[in-house]
Amino acid sequence: MTKKIKLKISQRLTKKKTRRNGHGAKHCRFCGSDEQKSFLDYKNSSYLRAFLTERGKILPARISGCCARHQRAIGTEIKKSRTMALMPFTAQYF
Amino acid sequence: MLRRYETLMLTVPEITQDETKKLEKEFDRLVVDAKGTTLSFERWGKYHLAYPVQKNEYGVYFLARYEVPEGTTLPEELKSMFAIKVNTFVMRQVTTLLDPKAPLAYQRPKSLEESPGTRGDVKDFLKEHKMEGLLSSSEGRRPRMEENVEEGMDSGHDNN
Repeated sequence: MTKKIKLKISQRLTKKKTRRNGHGAKHCRFCGSDEQKSFLDYKNSSYLRAFLTERGKILPARISGCCARHQRAIGTEIKKSRTMALMPFTAQYF
Repeated sequence: MLRRYETLMLTVPEITQDETKKLEKEFDRLVVDAKGTTLSFERWGKYHLAYPVQKNEYGVYFLARYEVPEGTTLPEELKSMFAIKVNTFVMRQVTTLLDPKAPLAYQRPKSLEESPGTRGDVKDFLKEHKMEGLLSSSEGRRPRMEENVEEGMDSGHDNN
């Protein structure tokens, strides 16, 4: 009789597997896409709003999924947009 | 070697046509003095600002694009123009260097003139800027107020 061998896999690895399951690796939306890059502009504040939290903070790269270079670009464009009052520094005063 | 720049200006909402003309004229004069050419001078329209600037809730944006040869003193000239000549109505301005090969098309948010009905409406503003969280919290408070009012009215009826 053959004995079933149960392989022991660490819990952390299984969790990691399930997390990536179906979604694939995160990738930067600006890398290799000229169309998306053209949207990245301080005048296009409605598009840049997707990179803000509800409170008006800039989303971290961990969540926006951008590479370091484009995350920096997003930061500078948002800051330019803020000085021109196109975007808020913080959520609306209420 | 020509360099292409753009300047976005934020002016007071009560800007008159004379002041607009003066701004455009001054701009043109400086660019021509620097042996450059103005590509465009656009009025975006009136906007509700993300935060009050010089106690103004609204503002009018102007975008100018121009090409000047390298090594001119135009940036300093523009600085002094914004500080002295047009400082009564230009509140903020930003100048950026453009890529001469990139197309001139760009996207901008809709002005109040292009999207009527949103002016001054807090609910629409919150919805538009994806801040429904605030909307629901303010709505959550409201029924309690109404209940109190109804109770007060009921007690009033009982007394009668």
